[in-house]
Amino acid sequence: MRSIHRTKRLDKKWLLCLILLLVLIVGGCGQAPAAPAAPAKQPEANKLRVGLVFDVGGRGDKSFNDGAYAGLEAAKKELGDRLEIKVLEPAGSGDNREQLLRLLAQEKSDLVFGVGFMFTDAIRKVAKDFPQTKFVLVDGYIPDLKPESNIACLLYREQEGAFLVGSMAAMKSSSGKIGFIGGMQIPLIEKFEAGYTAGARYAKPDIVVMADYVGTTSLAFKDPVKGKELALRQLSAGVDVLFAAAGSSGLGALDAVVAQKKLFIGVDSDQSLNATPEQRPFILTSMLKRVDVAVQDTIRQVGAAAFKGGYREFGLRENGVGYADNEYNRAVVAPYKSKLEEIRNRILAGDIKIPINRKELK
Amino acid sequence: MNGRNQILLLRFAAPVVSVLLALAAGALFMLVAGYNPWQVYATLLTFSLGRADSIGSILFYATPLLFAGLAVAVALKSGILNIGVEGQYLIGAFCGAWVGFSLHGLPGWLHLPLAVAAAMAGSMLWALLPAYLKLYRGVHEVISTILLNYVAFSLLHWLVAEVFMDRNQQIPAGLGSPLIRTPLFDAAVAAPKLHGLLRLFGLDVPDYIAVNLFLPLGILLAVGCWFLFRHTPLGYEIAATGQGPLAARNVGIAVNRVQLKTFLLSGAIGGLVGLSHLFGYYDSFDLDFPRNFGFSGIAVALLANNHPLGVIPSALLFGLLQRGGEGIQAFLTVPMELVVVLQGIMILCVALTMRWLDRLLLRRERGTGA
Repeated sequence: MRSIHRTKRLDKKWLLCLILLLVLIVGGCGQAPAAPAAPAKQPEANKLRVGLVFDVGGRGDKSFNDGAYAGLEAAKKELGDRLEIKVLEPAGSGDNREQLLRLLAQEKSDLVFGVGFMFTDAIRKVAKDFPQTKFVLVDGYIPDLKPESNIACLLYREQEGAFLVGSMAAMKSSSGKIGFIGGMQIPLIEKFEAGYTAGARYAKPDIVVMADYVGTTSLAFKDPVKGKELALRQLSAGVDVLFAAAGSSGLGALDAVVAQKKLFIGVDSDQSLNATPEQRPFILTSMLKRVDVAVQDTIRQVGAAAFKGGYREFGLRENGVGYADNEYNRAVVAPYKSKLEEIRNRILAGDIKIPINRKELK
Repeated sequence: MNGRNQILLLRFAAPVVSVLLALAAGALFMLVAGYNPWQVYATLLTFSLGRADSIGSILFYATPLLFAGLAVAVALKSGILNIGVEGQYLIGAFCGAWVGFSLHGLPGWLHLPLAVAAAMAGSMLWALLPAYLKLYRGVHEVISTILLNYVAFSLLHWLVAEVFMDRNQQIPAGLGSPLIRTPLFDAAVAAPKLHGLLRLFGLDVPDYIAVNLFLPLGILLAVGCWFLFRHTPLGYEIAATGQGPLAARNVGIAVNRVQLKTFLLSGAIGGLVGLSHLFGYYDSFDLDFPRNFGFSGIAVALLANNHPLGVIPSALLFGLLQRGGEGIQAFLTVPMELVVVLQGIMILCVALTMRWLDRLLLRRERGTGA
């Protein structure tokens, strides 16, 4: 009998909790205007609707993904209320990229970005079903596109920018040892490594380049702890300039480099700009991959009804890749500028052939 | 009032109450985060239950979780915490993919079952390792399976990015990036879609949602597992082993053997995880093949309280939360981070309150039964 009484009392307490919670919710809802679930709104004329899908966990890497977002923000500043943006991110398993692109297209987006080559198949499928919507694929390649297609692929020659920062690293290094940390060992990241190493050897043939990769899954691009560990290992082996092409894992490497007062080279975005004041003196430069400029340009094009499908290449010639020269590192970079300019011209003239993977490097 | 009726009522009310409580907790969180909970829930529900493509998506997302939940639940029944479903299903899926892209000219009725068998075998072999280590070397399975997951990830990277990578992709050298994937599958290995069947139920799922044969297969398997535990000697031995290995040994059950069998069964079921995506949606094995199904499976099993049939609604709830998450991201611009936190809170709340209500019921049953 006692147990029954106890459960009864428990029941009451529990009911009270429930009621309290419900009251809280209803109360909370009462304050905010209870708008109906947004159904497909009529698209306003003259509005430019732009959607962007990051890659899994890519947001906040201060590098590649944030670069694309910076382009979106710049366009927003330029176009103001005329521009309506939506930014989505896939689920952890990454199996809903296509559905997210599709949702954006169904909501009458004018332009949809897929950030990363992992969107290649998803964009190919969705673009077919939505001929009115323009799609932009960053880093990925879809064959047989024409200027009138509704897909544009943004393709970069990362190895050219990496070659320049590699040369700078080798010239700056006093220990004769420089380092590279990549996210995952895949063709895209090998381009950074190969260009960097080749550039370093070009500037200083006896340079030693240590190279490590963070991991074997896409988690490798968001693992600052492992990035820091690898950086510490390289630093203790005598590396004094370190280049990381590893998404937010690179932020861990930056921490390690700053703590030991050595030099860091950022990637994709100008990482001096979004670093803390304490970190800035230790950022030699960043290898730029101007996804931001391309994103902003494309939005402008679509706004002016001048979108062109097909392939857009970005290398040194197009100023799509390069190295960062900003108010924080100007003095450090200055002595190397003429030499770098000379290398740049030789690359443009085709005198230097840059390897694009480890095999070609050897 | 009749105590038994009350208990019956409570038993059916329990899931409803726990979902309500989860909604309440989620609402609190959203208020704190500055969103209108009413609006978020309304969008979540109308979007995920009011459109045929959403229903299809939920079924599609739930399918691998169904298998993953079962793989974990089966092992747990005998007291084995198989954290390694993650690595097992990835290895299995790769083995299946291997059959998918290397064999050509077979008819579909032979090719797909062959690929499925390869996936199950691969996953089972990957589970054999920790099973052996546990039963014959005394290495706890939690440690060995977690570590073997990393071995599996690295192995896959090597297999896909180095050994089997399709280097014939049409892409200009030095520009952009190819996909890191195996050669394309033979068309015969594609899993039959379920759209015709769903249409009979009045559900017109669009073609781009790849609900396929693996969904009914998963449901059948859940029923099969339920039958195993409910009506077979092996099922009884498994449950007895799980509840008290020493007692089980004393009544003459070969505990080691039972655990070995269960571990392998769990591994084999794990091999089915993700095949719905692999053969129903993708056309090759990509290094980016969906991850986390194995880890989600632990939560699915937990939520189902290890009941094989409970895994079905549990997996569906996960599917619904994923689809709903897409909706509130797209329509209310709630960032993904908050969506994930919300999903976590809701799942945790459902699991906790279900457990709590269960205990309450148990106590009450004992009270009236006396």
